Amino acid sequence: MSSDQAMLRVDKVGKQFGGLRAVDDVSLSVRKGEIVSIIGPNGAGKTTFFNLLTGQLAPSEGEVRFDDRSINALPPHARARLGMGRTFQIAKPLIALNVLENVMIGAFMQAGALSAARDQAMAVLERVGMAHLAPRRAGELTLSERRRLEVARALALQPQIVLLDEVMAGLNQSEVAHEIELLQELHAQGLTFLIIEHNLKVVRAFSDRVVVLDRGRLIAEGTADEILSSPVVIEAYLGAGHMGSGRELPASVTNEG
Amino acid sequence: MNSTEDIMRVRATASTRTRPVPAGPAPRRDVIASAGSAWGKYLVGMAIAFAPFVLLIDDSHWINIIAVTYLMGGLAAAWNIIGGFGGQFSLGHGVFFAIGAYMTGGLFISFGWSPWLTMLPIAVLAGGVAMLLSWPTFRLRGPFFAIATLAFNEVAFVLANHLESLTGGPRGMMIPFKVGFVNMIFRERWQYALLMFCFAALVIGISVWLRRSRLGYYLLAVREDEDAARAAGINVLAVKLQGMALSAGLTSIGGTLFTMYLRYIDPPTLFTLPDVGVKFALLSLIGGIGTIAGPLLGAALVIPFENWLRAELADSLPGVSLAILGLVMVLAALFMKRGVMGAFEDLMKRRRGAKERGQR
Repeated sequence: MSSDQAMLRVDKVGKQFGGLRAVDDVSLSVRKGEIVSIIGPNGAGKTTFFNLLTGQLAPSEGEVRFDDRSINALPPHARARLGMGRTFQIAKPLIALNVLENVMIGAFMQAGALSAARDQAMAVLERVGMAHLAPRRAGELTLSERRRLEVARALALQPQIVLLDEVMAGLNQSEVAHEIELLQELHAQGLTFLIIEHNLKVVRAFSDRVVVLDRGRLIAEGTADEILSSPVVIEAYLGAGHMGSGRELPASVTNEG
Repeated sequence: MNSTEDIMRVRATASTRTRPVPAGPAPRRDVIASAGSAWGKYLVGMAIAFAPFVLLIDDSHWINIIAVTYLMGGLAAAWNIIGGFGGQFSLGHGVFFAIGAYMTGGLFISFGWSPWLTMLPIAVLAGGVAMLLSWPTFRLRGPFFAIATLAFNEVAFVLANHLESLTGGPRGMMIPFKVGFVNMIFRERWQYALLMFCFAALVIGISVWLRRSRLGYYLLAVREDEDAARAAGINVLAVKLQGMALSAGLTSIGGTLFTMYLRYIDPPTLFTLPDVGVKFALLSLIGGIGTIAGPLLGAALVIPFENWLRAELADSLPGVSLAILGLVMVLAALFMKRGVMGAFEDLMKRRRGAKERGQR
């Protein structure tokens, strides 16, 4: 991997919350067109790590580079303008607005006029299969629709990279399959992804590379198959007792409700 | 090989493709009102608002109340830009109101400058002051922001009392009665009512435009969720400051008109919270916060009612009119969370829903 190909480059980044080291000396780079998954037990610092990349949090040390320039000093909205789209672990629909208007909020970044933003937002909604929901109030959406709306709003920015924070959580199997299909389509169109995902089926189906965070540290990196059978990773998830038992991780290691 | 242009092109062509959707083609009408229908509604609404003026132009008692209603409706609509659309619950708009009032009066008395000419530069100045005051305060959220703006109002009240050379202090400021269009001083009450109507029409027209503009949408996004707004590329602080400047500038114009109408201003008239800073917010709340017509509707309901209460009860039970008004506001806050406009919209929605069910 040559450095000029790295779109997003994270160099020895750390985040300290009082006595807690939430993210500790993590380095990672994501190349253009790549799909990188971040997995790890709950509380491993995945979302904190995401917030360091998108600027919601400032790193205690280390550097985040995007397109080969340091973006440490940039606030979240400036990073969005550079081409970083993101979703939130807990979906944040703008509930008083309808679905189309929610997506227009993203589209306005590229389009100044109302009509241009509306057309752009409508095109995105058609792309993610939500066009029929355009007039619906965002507050009335189901969980899976809310998550998809998050993705749509991020796509409306016409980003270069999209950071997805557990967009599959709480979805049923057919919704997950639908979502994977959508992401694969977007990836085929050249979009780069960095995703946090608990569902290992998704990780297997939809990633070029997997990194594992545990207690704030990056403990493993490799292809999905390498990672999911790696003893270090199994230990992090299931504890030392399972070492050498020849087991693989179960399909889903989520312990959310 | 994957150059950005390629990606953009691929995505552009791909975006025209449609995926199968469960429920037929998208109902495009109704999603966003067209410009024509938005301005059509505006014209109809303003025509309705103008009717009392036409009907009661000869009634010297009512034309006065109508003038104040238009003025307060316009001021509430100005507040609604940052308080309703932007969700920044300012209780300090009395400061900007007073800037318009004192500066217009001062420049007219000292130099004889026409309020028509000084009105806009003063409004720009009030917008600038608003940005300076808001810069530090916008770090505060919710009730803490409201309390900070309340403090600005009280500080300005003290300052206005002390800076006698500029404001006349507690003695107040008296505008000489020099009738003339250039002086914005009229002999007839209905002329003021017409002026106040134009002000309300201006502010509500700006609201209609804003609601369909990028800034308007950004204000809504900031109100709904600041983190989501930032992730959508919105500079939250800049949007709040722009909304505040616009709102404060229009409030200052209201202050100009108020001064030339009353021709006497003093600190209690400009800074008493239930009559000024808090009133703007309350009228919007009752009519429908964050809606376009709500603030004027709120004024139309509250101002005449308030006047009537005061006239009926002033002699027998002084102060009771305020208590009754307070009770009405508490009830409105409890049972009509989105004001009269919100209740109306819900009703229309329910009726539409019933109709659709009936057709099936």
